Amino acid sequence: MTDDNARLWLHGLLDLCLLGLLDQHRDYGLALAGRLETAGFGSLPGGTLYPALLRLETTGLVTASREPSPTGPPRKYFEITAAGRESLVARRQEWRRFSRRVDGVLGDLTEGAQP
Amino acid sequence: MSGHDAHDTGGDWADNLRHALVERGVAEHRAAELLRDAEEVAVESGDSPVAVFGPATAYADQLARAMRTPGARLDPPPTAAPALRLTGVSKRYGRREVLRDVSLEVRAGEAVAVVGANGSGKSTLMAVCAGMIKPTTGRVERAAHVGYVPQHGGTADYLTPREHFDLFAAARGDSRRRGYATGDRLAASLGWRPKDGQPVGQLSGGTRQKLNVVLGEISRPDLLLLDEPYQGFDHGAYVDLWGQIDRWRETGTAVLLVTHMLSELHRVDRVVELAAPKEA
Repeated sequence: MTDDNARLWLHGLLDLCLLGLLDQHRDYGLALAGRLETAGFGSLPGGTLYPALLRLETTGLVTASREPSPTGPPRKYFEITAAGRESLVARRQEWRRFSRRVDGVLGDLTEGAQP
Repeated sequence: MSGHDAHDTGGDWADNLRHALVERGVAEHRAAELLRDAEEVAVESGDSPVAVFGPATAYADQLARAMRTPGARLDPPPTAAPALRLTGVSKRYGRREVLRDVSLEVRAGEAVAVVGANGSGKSTLMAVCAGMIKPTTGRVERAAHVGYVPQHGGTADYLTPREHFDLFAAARGDSRRRGYATGDRLAASLGWRPKDGQPVGQLSGGTRQKLNVVLGEISRPDLLLLDEPYQGFDHGAYVDLWGQIDRWRETGTAVLLVTHMLSELHRVDRVVELAAPKEA
Protein backbone atom coordinates (compact mmCIF):
# COMPACT_ATOMS: atom_id res chain seq x y z
CA MET A 1 0.00 0.00 0.00
CA THR A 2 2.53 2.62 1.11
CA ASP A 3 5.05 1.05 -1.28
CA ASP A 4 2.62 1.66 -4.13
CA ASN A 5 2.25 5.28 -3.11
CA ALA A 6 6.00 5.73 -2.88
CA ARG A 7 6.43 4.24 -6.34
CA LEU A 8 3.82 6.58 -7.75
CA TRP A 9 5.44 9.63 -6.17
CA LEU A 10 8.93 8.60 -7.20
CA HIS A 11 7.68 8.20 -10.77
CA GLY A 12 7.13 11.95 -11.00
CA LEU A 13 10.39 12.76 -9.21
CA LEU A 14 12.74 10.13 -10.62
CA ASP A 15 14.50 12.46 -13.07
CA LEU A 16 15.07 14.98 -10.30
CA CYS A 17 16.37 12.30 -7.88
CA LEU A 18 18.74 10.94 -10.53
CA LEU A 19 20.10 14.43 -11.16
CA GLY A 20 20.59 14.80 -7.40
CA LEU A 21 22.53 11.53 -7.18
CA LEU A 22 24.65 12.34 -10.24
CA ASP A 23 25.39 15.77 -8.81
CA GLN A 24 27.12 13.97 -5.91
CA HIS A 25 29.20 11.84 -8.25
CA ARG A 26 29.08 10.18 -11.68
CA ASP A 27 27.80 6.63 -11.70
CA TYR A 28 26.48 3.75 -13.77
CA GLY A 29 22.91 2.44 -13.92
CA LEU A 30 23.04 -0.51 -11.56
CA ALA A 31 24.93 1.52 -8.94
CA LEU A 32 22.31 4.29 -9.22
CA ALA A 33 19.58 1.69 -8.68
CA GLY A 34 21.50 0.54 -5.60
CA ARG A 35 21.80 4.07 -4.25
CA LEU A 36 18.05 4.64 -4.71
CA GLU A 37 17.38 1.38 -2.87
CA THR A 38 19.69 2.40 -0.02
CA ALA A 39 17.83 5.71 0.15
CA GLY A 40 14.67 3.70 0.86
CA PHE A 41 12.90 3.76 -2.49
CA GLY A 42 12.89 -0.01 -2.92
CA SER A 43 14.23 -1.74 -6.00
CA LEU A 44 13.53 0.17 -9.19
CA PRO A 45 12.82 -1.89 -12.33
CA GLY A 46 15.32 -1.43 -15.17
CA GLY A 47 12.38 -0.68 -17.46
CA THR A 48 11.83 2.51 -15.45
CA LEU A 49 15.41 3.51 -14.61
CA TYR A 50 17.06 3.29 -18.02
CA PRO A 51 14.41 5.19 -20.00
CA ALA A 52 14.69 7.96 -17.37
CA LEU A 53 18.48 8.07 -17.83
CA LEU A 54 18.03 8.12 -21.60
CA ARG A 55 15.56 10.99 -21.24
CA LEU A 56 18.11 12.97 -19.23
CA GLU A 57 20.73 12.21 -21.87
CA THR A 58 18.42 13.20 -24.75
CA THR A 59 17.65 16.53 -23.13
CA GLY A 60 21.35 17.21 -22.50
CA LEU A 61 21.13 17.16 -18.70
CA VAL A 62 23.59 14.26 -18.43
CA THR A 63 26.22 12.72 -20.69
CA ALA A 64 26.94 9.01 -20.95
CA SER A 65 30.19 7.20 -21.67
CA ARG A 66 30.86 3.50 -21.95
CA GLU A 67 33.83 2.27 -19.98
CA PRO A 68 35.40 -1.11 -19.33
CA SER A 69 34.59 -2.68 -15.98
CA PRO A 70 37.02 -4.75 -13.92
CA THR A 71 34.40 -7.37 -13.09
CA GLY A 72 32.19 -7.82 -16.15
CA PRO A 73 30.89 -6.25 -19.36
CA PRO A 74 31.48 -2.53 -20.05
CA ARG A 75 29.40 -0.08 -18.05
CA LYS A 76 27.69 3.08 -19.15
CA TYR A 77 28.62 5.92 -16.80
CA PHE A 78 26.40 8.96 -16.46
CA GLU A 79 27.65 12.41 -15.58
CA ILE A 80 25.67 15.59 -14.91
CA THR A 81 26.25 18.53 -17.31
CA ALA A 82 26.19 22.27 -16.57
CA ALA A 83 22.64 22.39 -17.95
CA GLY A 84 21.77 19.45 -15.70
CA ARG A 85 23.08 21.29 -12.65
CA GLU A 86 21.10 24.38 -13.58
CA SER A 87 17.96 22.30 -13.99
CA LEU A 88 18.63 20.56 -10.66
CA VAL A 89 18.93 23.85 -8.76
CA ALA A 90 15.72 25.24 -10.26
CA ARG A 91 13.68 22.08 -9.82
CA ARG A 92 14.95 21.45 -6.31
CA GLN A 93 13.62 24.87 -5.32
CA GLU A 94 10.29 24.16 -6.99
CA TRP A 95 10.06 20.85 -5.18
CA ARG A 96 10.83 22.44 -1.77
CA ARG A 97 8.16 25.08 -2.28
CA PHE A 98 5.68 22.47 -3.38
CA SER A 99 6.37 20.03 -0.53
CA ARG A 100 6.06 22.86 2.01
CA ARG A 101 2.62 23.60 0.59
CA VAL A 102 1.61 19.96 0.85
CA ASP A 103 2.87 19.86 4.46
CA GLY A 104 0.93 23.05 5.18
CA VAL A 105 -2.28 21.45 3.98
CA LEU A 106 -1.68 18.11 5.69
CA GLY A 107 -0.96 19.71 9.04
CA ASP A 108 0.76 18.24 12.08
CA LEU A 109 3.06 15.34 11.26
CA THR A 110 2.27 13.41 14.48
CA GLU A 111 -1.50 13.64 14.11
CA GLY A 112 -3.15 10.43 13.03
CA ALA A 113 0.18 8.64 12.70
CA GLN A 114 -0.10 4.86 12.41
CA PRO A 115 1.90 2.70 14.79
CA MET B 1 25.77 -5.71 -33.18
CA SER B 2 27.88 -8.23 -31.27
CA GLY B 3 26.95 -11.61 -29.80
CA HIS B 4 23.44 -11.03 -28.49
CA ASP B 5 22.95 -14.76 -27.97
CA ALA B 6 25.61 -14.81 -25.27
CA HIS B 7 23.17 -15.72 -22.52
CA ASP B 8 20.15 -17.93 -21.96
CA THR B 9 16.84 -16.96 -23.54
CA GLY B 10 17.81 -13.44 -24.56
CA GLY B 11 17.55 -14.13 -28.30
CA ASP B 12 13.85 -13.48 -28.75
CA TRP B 13 13.93 -10.57 -26.38
CA ALA B 14 16.81 -9.05 -28.31
CA ASP B 15 15.07 -9.48 -31.66
CA ASN B 16 11.83 -8.11 -30.29
CA LEU B 17 13.54 -5.09 -28.77
CA ARG B 18 15.40 -4.22 -31.93
CA HIS B 19 12.34 -4.71 -34.09
CA ALA B 20 10.12 -2.63 -31.80
CA LEU B 21 12.69 0.19 -31.60
CA VAL B 22 13.08 0.39 -35.38
CA GLU B 23 9.32 0.23 -35.78
CA ARG B 24 9.12 3.27 -33.52
CA GLY B 25 11.46 5.27 -35.73
CA VAL B 26 14.76 4.63 -33.92
CA ALA B 27 17.71 4.35 -36.34
CA GLU B 28 19.12 0.82 -36.78
CA HIS B 29 22.55 1.64 -35.32
CA ARG B 30 20.99 3.38 -32.32
CA ALA B 31 18.68 0.42 -31.75
CA ALA B 32 21.72 -1.89 -31.81
CA GLU B 33 23.48 0.30 -29.22
CA LEU B 34 20.46 0.35 -26.93
CA LEU B 35 20.20 -3.43 -27.21
CA ARG B 36 23.90 -3.85 -26.42
CA ASP B 37 23.55 -1.55 -23.36
CA ALA B 38 20.55 -3.52 -22.13
CA GLU B 39 22.31 -6.85 -22.56
CA GLU B 40 25.38 -5.65 -20.71
CA VAL B 41 23.27 -4.49 -17.79
CA ALA B 42 21.44 -7.81 -17.75
CA VAL B 43 24.71 -9.77 -17.73
CA GLU B 44 26.11 -7.70 -14.88
CA SER B 45 22.96 -8.02 -12.81
CA GLY B 46 22.96 -11.78 -13.45
CA ASP B 47 19.38 -11.87 -14.69
CA SER B 48 17.60 -12.30 -18.01
CA PRO B 49 16.76 -9.11 -19.94
CA VAL B 50 13.04 -9.71 -19.49
CA ALA B 51 13.50 -9.93 -15.70
CA VAL B 52 15.49 -6.68 -15.63
CA PHE B 53 13.63 -4.57 -18.20
CA GLY B 54 10.24 -6.24 -18.64
CA PRO B 55 8.73 -7.19 -22.02
CA ALA B 56 10.85 -5.98 -24.96
CA THR B 57 8.03 -4.14 -26.71
CA ALA B 58 7.06 -2.19 -23.60
CA TYR B 59 10.71 -1.34 -22.90
CA ALA B 60 11.22 -0.22 -26.51
CA ASP B 61 8.19 2.02 -26.17
CA GLN B 62 9.67 3.70 -23.09
CA LEU B 63 13.07 4.14 -24.73
CA ALA B 64 11.64 5.51 -27.97
CA ARG B 65 9.55 7.97 -26.03
CA ALA B 66 12.53 9.04 -23.92
CA MET B 67 14.45 9.78 -27.12
CA ARG B 68 11.67 11.96 -28.41
CA THR B 69 11.37 14.08 -25.26
CA PRO B 70 11.07 17.56 -26.65
CA GLY B 71 13.36 20.25 -25.31
CA ALA B 72 11.95 23.43 -23.89
CA ARG B 73 9.32 24.73 -26.28
CA LEU B 74 10.07 28.01 -27.95
CA ASP B 75 7.40 30.57 -27.35
CA PRO B 76 5.96 31.86 -30.60
CA PRO B 77 7.09 35.42 -31.27
CA PRO B 78 4.24 37.78 -30.38
CA THR B 79 4.54 39.43 -33.79
CA ALA B 80 3.92 36.18 -35.67
CA ALA B 81 1.53 36.66 -38.54
CA PRO B 82 -1.93 35.12 -38.22
CA ALA B 83 -2.18 32.00 -40.37
CA LEU B 84 -5.93 31.91 -39.89
CA ARG B 85 -8.45 34.54 -38.88
CA LEU B 86 -12.21 34.06 -38.66
CA THR B 87 -14.37 37.10 -38.02
CA GLY B 88 -18.03 36.68 -37.08
CA VAL B 89 -18.47 33.44 -39.02
CA SER B 90 -21.95 31.89 -39.07
CA LYS B 91 -23.29 28.96 -41.03
CA ARG B 92 -26.92 28.04 -41.62
CA TYR B 93 -28.47 25.18 -43.49
CA GLY B 94 -31.97 26.43 -44.17
CA ARG B 95 -33.36 27.30 -40.73
CA ARG B 96 -30.78 25.28 -38.89
CA GLU B 97 -27.92 27.34 -37.53
CA VAL B 98 -24.76 25.22 -37.28
CA LEU B 99 -22.27 27.94 -36.37
CA ARG B 100 -23.02 31.27 -34.80
CA ASP B 101 -20.70 34.25 -34.77
CA VAL B 102 -17.40 32.44 -34.40
CA SER B 103 -14.24 34.57 -34.31
CA LEU B 104 -10.80 33.12 -33.79
CA GLU B 105 -7.21 33.66 -34.74
CA VAL B 106 -4.28 31.24 -34.99
CA ARG B 107 -0.78 32.65 -35.45
CA ALA B 108 2.29 30.93 -36.82
CA GLY B 109 3.67 28.56 -34.18
CA GLU B 110 0.47 28.43 -32.16
CA ALA B 111 -1.81 25.51 -31.46
CA VAL B 112 -5.47 26.25 -30.80
CA ALA B 113 -8.04 23.64 -29.79
CA VAL B 114 -11.71 23.65 -30.74
CA VAL B 115 -13.99 21.96 -28.22
CA GLY B 116 -17.74 21.63 -27.94
CA ALA B 117 -20.57 19.15 -27.57
CA ASN B 118 -21.52 16.68 -30.29
CA GLY B 119 -23.41 18.62 -32.94
CA SER B 120 -21.90 21.97 -31.99
CA GLY B 121 -20.43 22.36 -35.47
CA LYS B 122 -16.76 21.45 -34.88
CA SER B 123 -16.31 19.60 -38.16
CA THR B 124 -18.27 22.25 -40.05
CA LEU B 125 -15.96 24.88 -38.58
CA MET B 126 -12.90 22.94 -39.77
CA ALA B 127 -14.36 22.60 -43.26
CA VAL B 128 -15.06 26.36 -43.28
CA CYS B 129 -11.44 27.01 -42.22
CA ALA B 130 -10.24 24.69 -45.00
CA GLY B 131 -12.33 26.59 -47.53
CA MET B 132 -14.48 23.59 -48.35
CA ILE B 133 -17.67 25.12 -47.01
CA LYS B 134 -18.64 28.74 -47.53
CA PRO B 135 -19.87 30.53 -44.42
CA THR B 136 -23.31 32.16 -44.59
CA THR B 137 -21.92 35.33 -43.04
CA GLY B 138 -18.53 36.45 -41.76
CA ARG B 139 -14.99 36.51 -43.06
CA VAL B 140 -12.30 33.84 -43.37
CA GLU B 141 -8.66 34.79 -44.01
CA ARG B 142 -6.06 32.07 -44.22
CA ALA B 143 -2.46 31.38 -45.19
CA ALA B 144 -1.64 30.15 -48.69
CA HIS B 145 -0.66 26.57 -47.80
CA VAL B 146 -3.27 24.76 -45.78
CA GLY B 147 -3.15 21.09 -44.73
CA TYR B 148 -6.51 19.57 -43.83
CA VAL B 149 -6.86 16.26 -42.03
CA PRO B 150 -10.58 15.49 -42.10
CA GLN B 151 -12.30 13.20 -39.62
CA HIS B 152 -13.39 10.82 -42.36
CA GLY B 153 -12.20 10.27 -45.90
CA GLY B 154 -9.51 12.29 -47.57
CA THR B 155 -7.78 9.14 -48.78
CA ALA B 156 -8.33 6.74 -51.69
CA ASP B 157 -9.11 3.12 -50.74
CA TYR B 158 -7.40 1.52 -53.75
CA LEU B 159 -4.08 3.33 -53.43
CA THR B 160 -1.31 2.31 -51.01
CA PRO B 161 0.01 4.70 -48.33
CA ARG B 162 3.20 5.23 -50.36
CA GLU B 163 1.17 6.18 -53.43
CA HIS B 164 -0.55 8.77 -51.25
CA PHE B 165 2.86 10.10 -50.12
CA ASP B 166 3.79 10.34 -53.78
CA LEU B 167 0.63 12.23 -54.75
CA PHE B 168 0.83 14.71 -51.90
CA ALA B 169 4.54 15.36 -52.51
CA ALA B 170 3.83 15.91 -56.21
CA ALA B 171 1.06 18.38 -55.39
CA ARG B 172 3.68 20.33 -53.50
CA GLY B 173 6.20 20.04 -56.36
CA ASP B 174 8.45 17.70 -54.36
CA SER B 175 10.14 14.60 -55.69
CA ARG B 176 8.77 11.12 -55.08
CA ARG B 177 11.89 10.26 -53.09
CA ARG B 178 11.33 13.18 -50.77
CA GLY B 179 7.67 12.24 -50.35
CA TYR B 180 8.60 8.67 -49.42
CA ALA B 181 11.35 9.75 -47.03
CA THR B 182 9.15 12.27 -45.21
CA GLY B 183 6.20 9.90 -45.21
CA ASP B 184 8.14 6.93 -43.84
CA ARG B 185 9.88 9.02 -41.18
CA LEU B 186 6.70 10.56 -39.86
CA ALA B 187 4.80 7.27 -40.04
CA ALA B 188 7.54 5.66 -37.93
CA SER B 189 7.28 8.45 -35.37
CA LEU B 190 3.61 7.51 -35.00
CA GLY B 191 4.61 3.86 -34.54
CA TRP B 192 3.51 2.79 -38.01
CA ARG B 193 5.40 1.17 -40.87
CA PRO B 194 3.49 1.25 -44.16
CA LYS B 195 3.58 -2.11 -45.95
CA ASP B 196 4.20 -2.17 -49.67
CA GLY B 197 1.23 -3.22 -51.74
CA GLN B 198 -1.38 -2.85 -49.02
CA PRO B 199 -4.18 -0.58 -50.17
CA VAL B 200 -5.56 2.00 -47.77
CA GLY B 201 -8.96 0.28 -47.84
CA GLN B 202 -7.42 -2.58 -45.82
CA LEU B 203 -6.00 -0.36 -43.07
CA SER B 204 -7.63 -0.06 -39.66
CA GLY B 205 -9.36 3.20 -38.80
CA GLY B 206 -6.50 4.23 -36.51
CA THR B 207 -3.85 3.58 -39.16
CA ARG B 208 -5.88 5.50 -41.72
CA GLN B 209 -5.93 8.48 -39.38
CA LYS B 210 -2.15 8.19 -39.03
CA LEU B 211 -1.93 8.27 -42.83
CA ASN B 212 -4.00 11.44 -42.79
CA VAL B 213 -1.69 13.05 -40.25
CA VAL B 214 1.36 12.07 -42.33
CA LEU B 215 -0.23 13.55 -45.47
CA GLY B 216 -0.89 16.76 -43.59
CA GLU B 217 2.83 16.97 -42.89
CA ILE B 218 4.02 16.08 -46.39
CA SER B 219 2.18 19.09 -47.76
CA ARG B 220 4.21 21.24 -45.30
CA PRO B 221 1.43 23.74 -44.69
CA ASP B 222 1.53 27.10 -42.92
CA LEU B 223 -1.75 26.12 -41.34
CA LEU B 224 -2.67 22.59 -40.34
CA LEU B 225 -6.29 21.70 -39.59
CA LEU B 226 -6.72 18.44 -37.63
CA ASP B 227 -10.21 17.11 -37.06
CA GLU B 228 -10.08 14.64 -34.11
CA PRO B 229 -6.85 13.17 -35.44
CA TYR B 230 -6.41 10.48 -32.77
CA GLN B 231 -9.62 8.57 -33.24
CA GLY B 232 -8.56 4.96 -33.05
CA PHE B 233 -4.97 5.79 -32.10
CA ASP B 234 -3.45 3.51 -29.53
CA HIS B 235 -2.12 5.22 -26.44
CA GLY B 236 1.53 5.45 -27.52
CA ALA B 237 0.78 6.93 -30.92
CA TYR B 238 -1.62 9.36 -29.34
CA VAL B 239 1.08 10.63 -27.02
CA ASP B 240 3.43 10.87 -29.99
CA LEU B 241 0.93 12.96 -31.92
CA TRP B 242 1.18 15.63 -29.24
CA GLY B 243 4.96 15.54 -29.61
CA GLN B 244 4.49 15.97 -33.34
CA ILE B 245 2.14 18.92 -32.76
CA ASP B 246 4.85 20.53 -30.58
CA ARG B 247 7.37 20.09 -33.40
CA TRP B 248 5.01 21.63 -35.95
CA ARG B 249 4.65 24.64 -33.70
CA GLU B 250 8.38 24.94 -33.26
CA THR B 251 8.80 25.14 -37.03
CA GLY B 252 6.19 27.89 -37.24
CA THR B 253 3.19 25.92 -38.42
CA ALA B 254 -0.13 27.10 -37.02
CA VAL B 255 -2.26 24.18 -35.78
CA LEU B 256 -6.01 24.22 -35.26
CA LEU B 257 -7.37 20.96 -33.90
CA VAL B 258 -10.74 19.64 -32.92
CA THR B 259 -10.48 17.55 -29.79
CA HIS B 260 -12.56 15.77 -27.23
CA MET B 261 -9.47 14.99 -25.13
CA LEU B 262 -10.21 17.66 -22.57
CA SER B 263 -7.43 16.46 -20.28
CA GLU B 264 -4.84 17.57 -22.86
CA LEU B 265 -5.94 21.17 -23.21
CA HIS B 266 -2.94 22.44 -21.24
CA ARG B 267 -0.86 21.56 -24.29
CA VAL B 268 -2.40 24.18 -26.55
CA ASP B 269 -2.13 27.96 -26.50
CA ARG B 270 -5.84 28.71 -26.57
CA VAL B 271 -9.15 26.94 -26.54
CA VAL B 272 -12.19 27.93 -28.57
CA GLU B 273 -15.44 26.56 -27.21
CA LEU B 274 -18.40 26.25 -29.55
CA ALA B 275 -21.94 26.69 -28.24
CA ALA B 276 -23.97 23.52 -27.71
CA PRO B 277 -26.56 22.96 -30.47
CA LYS B 278 -29.91 24.64 -29.98
CA GLU B 279 -32.90 22.37 -29.66
CA ALA B 280 -34.88 22.71 -32.88
